[in-house]
Amino acid sequence: MGILLFITVLLIAACGLIYELIAGTLASYLLGDSVLQFSTIIGCYLFAMGIGSALSRYIDRGLAYRFVWIELLLGVIGGFSSALLFLAFAYTQGFQLIMYVLVVVIGVLVGLEIPLLMRIIRGRYAFRDVVAHVLTFDYLGALGASLLFPILLVPYLGLVRSALLFGIINVVVALWSTFLFAGQLASVRALRVLCVIVLAGLALGFAQAKRITATAEDNIYADEIIFSRETRYQHIVLTRFKDDIRLFLNSHLQFSSRDEYRYHEALIHPGLSAIPAPRRVLVLGGGDGLAVREILKYPQIASITLVDLDPEMTRLFSTHPMLTALNQKSFLSSKVHIINADAFPWVDSDTDSFDFIVIDFPDPTNYALGKLYTTAFYKAVARHLSSQGLIVVQSTSPMFARDSYWCIVETLKQAGLRTYPYHVYVPSFGEWGFVIAGYRDYQPPTTLPSALRFINVDGLPALFQFPPDMSPMAMPPNRLNDQVLVRAYDQDWKDISH
Amino acid sequence: MIIDSMKASRRQFLQSASASLIGLSIKGDRPIAGSFVNDSFQVGHQLRDRASFPEPKQLANHAVVIIGGGIAGLSAAWRLHKKGFSDFVLLEMNDQVGGNSRWGENEITSFPWAAHYVPVPGPKAVFVRELFQELGVLKNGQWEERYLCFSPQERLFLYGKWQDGIEPAIGLTAPDRDQFRKLEDLIHEFRATGKFAVPMELGFSASTAGLDQISFAEWLRTQQMDSRILNWYMNYCCRDDYGATTQNTSAWAGIQYFASREPEEKGPLTWPEGNGWIVRRLMERLNKFVQTNRMVHRITQRGTRVRVFAGHTEYQAEFVIFAAPSFLAPYLIEGMPPLHDFEYSPWLTANLTLDRLPASYGTDPTWDSVFMESPTLGYVDATHQSLRSHIDRTVWTFYWALAEGSPAENRQLLLSKDWNYWKVAILHDLGRVHRDIRGCVSHIDIMRMGHAMARPKVGAVFSEERRTLKKGVGHILFANSDLSGFSIFEEAQYRGVVAADRVLGRIGGLRDRDHRA
Repeated sequence: MGILLFITVLLIAACGLIYELIAGTLASYLLGDSVLQFSTIIGCYLFAMGIGSALSRYIDRGLAYRFVWIELLLGVIGGFSSALLFLAFAYTQGFQLIMYVLVVVIGVLVGLEIPLLMRIIRGRYAFRDVVAHVLTFDYLGALGASLLFPILLVPYLGLVRSALLFGIINVVVALWSTFLFAGQLASVRALRVLCVIVLAGLALGFAQAKRITATAEDNIYADEIIFSRETRYQHIVLTRFKDDIRLFLNSHLQFSSRDEYRYHEALIHPGLSAIPAPRRVLVLGGGDGLAVREILKYPQIASITLVDLDPEMTRLFSTHPMLTALNQKSFLSSKVHIINADAFPWVDSDTDSFDFIVIDFPDPTNYALGKLYTTAFYKAVARHLSSQGLIVVQSTSPMFARDSYWCIVETLKQAGLRTYPYHVYVPSFGEWGFVIAGYRDYQPPTTLPSALRFINVDGLPALFQFPPDMSPMAMPPNRLNDQVLVRAYDQDWKDISH
Repeated sequence: MIIDSMKASRRQFLQSASASLIGLSIKGDRPIAGSFVNDSFQVGHQLRDRASFPEPKQLANHAVVIIGGGIAGLSAAWRLHKKGFSDFVLLEMNDQVGGNSRWGENEITSFPWAAHYVPVPGPKAVFVRELFQELGVLKNGQWEERYLCFSPQERLFLYGKWQDGIEPAIGLTAPDRDQFRKLEDLIHEFRATGKFAVPMELGFSASTAGLDQISFAEWLRTQQMDSRILNWYMNYCCRDDYGATTQNTSAWAGIQYFASREPEEKGPLTWPEGNGWIVRRLMERLNKFVQTNRMVHRITQRGTRVRVFAGHTEYQAEFVIFAAPSFLAPYLIEGMPPLHDFEYSPWLTANLTLDRLPASYGTDPTWDSVFMESPTLGYVDATHQSLRSHIDRTVWTFYWALAEGSPAENRQLLLSKDWNYWKVAILHDLGRVHRDIRGCVSHIDIMRMGHAMARPKVGAVFSEERRTLKKGVGHILFANSDLSGFSIFEEAQYRGVVAADRVLGRIGGLRDRDHRA
């Protein structure tokens, strides 16, 4: 009898912790930012347990009866919590609201369990033994659950079935409580029937779990979205299809993990390898850390300053495991200094000088972004160039946005720079263009960092050749007071889509 | 894409539904703070009513006293200072200099209170070019890009949609187009005569005096230009530059508006605080000469001495440059007869703090937005000249020239209605295009100007009174832009500089004579 009682404590403690872990994991998985998710969920959960404990004092009679009911409720709510959350994410935008409500309800119920149990068995043991044993097994259960969860449950059962399994355990506890506390219960029979029905329901759920997850995940992954957030500055969306991760900012594709190496190697190495002894690099934009990853291939570089508007973007690419795997934790390098600021005012007020300046902004789809492609902006950037320094600019597609591309080249020229336009093929983008600019002569480099997958010395000169369908167009420069680029870009893409 | 947006809307719906569940989304209209600011009625009325002023307790001697710290007065000071002359003082009635180029500032941006741009000056505006060279606006023959108005510049709301530019370009009939073209041809001819220039004095010719004898509306009629759209646009232009309708503007002034300029660069020049930026730069140079809160209440002239009374101080000067609005002169200068040909348009401007752009904004953020079916002149976005790419809060400067009806009645209206009345009127006007404007605005400050701009009514530009004032009265020279008949930056600056040069010439002459004696 005694040992069974304390195994009950151990099991209910494990169940409680599992539901909390499931909520935290699901939220981190679906929303990102695991620190925030786990902190707030643990906080809410513990607070709700406190409420439960406080409420327990208002339960006067029928302690055992109510304990059985709490176990039943926990079994149902906790057991289906994971499935419910998946469906909530897939079919509503009230995911966070539903999640916190669920966490609070489970927390309150769990908070009621131990005080009630202690009062039920109070008469059977000395008070100090009750406290000691109950708390010992409570903490033991928590330890067991916290070890089981990552090692066995998540890998082998998944989140939906793990929750259901522990729901079943809660109901089993309810059922055997009807035996343990039979003497304190009136309608034992009815309770047992109820327990069996709930148990059957949960078992059915367990068997059908695959279908529940499939339904939910179908909806989630129909658009392959694994991360979506509206920040103060932009809408960040990450999608995944098999091993291909894609980043969209305001629904414009920024990279595909399958071929981004082509883009980023082409962005960095033709320019950076041509600089004799580069020490200091500035990256404007590039909040995904992929350009920085390439720059870190030059050990002589002492410092990389990255200016990106959106702190959520740089934080995401500093912390999300899937993304730090992609940028090889480039933001965690001690050489990298991240500044979250609007680029033009920053460039205008800062006075540092740099050997290599990477300008990697979203395409000039509107007048606000267009400011970052003007003669005024390039003049302000060029003031930061060291004597041997070079600038490289991501400059849209010379194929699909030919006017826009050559407009950017002309704008750099009008800012007083020499320009060296080149282009590469990136499957997910098509033909893509860049411009190297500086006050000095540029020759393609004769050495490159080792182990590049795309750029090689022999192939470099060809990148600077433009076939007739991408050859230069006479365009006026883009100026703050006359943003021809935004209009040209708009027209270029209209021409393609019609 | 379509699926994305459907999903977004469904999610937004659920979000708002779940928010209202916990009582977050149902809100009443948010309170809007604000008040009247920069009122100067009180001091003006003291003068009008010939209130009694204190006797002077102290005496100050300066070779030159400049009265009025608007662009004319500041430009006179700038000229004197630049010529190495420093024995002068500038007296400004308000606590802030700038006149129609005053500006304000809040935690979001600085913003204009009235004049908010200068057209890219043509070759004849040599003083403006000189000033802009000094201020780094014009460098090696190139206009500094960041001071030229950023794209997109202007838009007009008509027929339920926005078009680029303020001159109506959509929904025109063939006769509309013909008339616009005909007007353009006529303007081209007027421009070619060289008689319409900025500053106007450099083109001023008796041969165009006839045009000052009829109204612009009448002239348009005589040219068979009856297009409603064309007349709307002409009326808008007159309200914008003169605060008057085409009926109350002389044809000469209407033509001057179009024929005096040939922009060589996509402009205009503008700054977040409007022409307040120029005032700030001028004040960096002239601060030590400027005394604010100095309301002049009497000016007397005996022989070669001019005495200027302001507060407890009597200033004695060899010359006075009267750069304040000229209509004040008869109230101040002893023995000066009243003026009849100087009429002024009352204006109201408001600065609205927006915590976000309305969802109904309609296009990329634009500098100047005008509604066709509105008695107001629309609004200008103070953060438009910001270099930032991300701007969530902003300030709109709302312009309203009370052009319809008589100026005196409109002045009475300005005075009699409270802040709430104007707030409601402004939000109503904006609300017809931006239905969600109320939820975006947190603050509205309103400035009332009884005599905001000289009005070039019929006969005003060529009036005898103006000719007399341009000459000056003894040792008092006049410099306000209203001598030109209308209030624009270049005219004010020109009048100020010319007055300074004349004073310097006459002082030089006096000194030379003293030397010889």
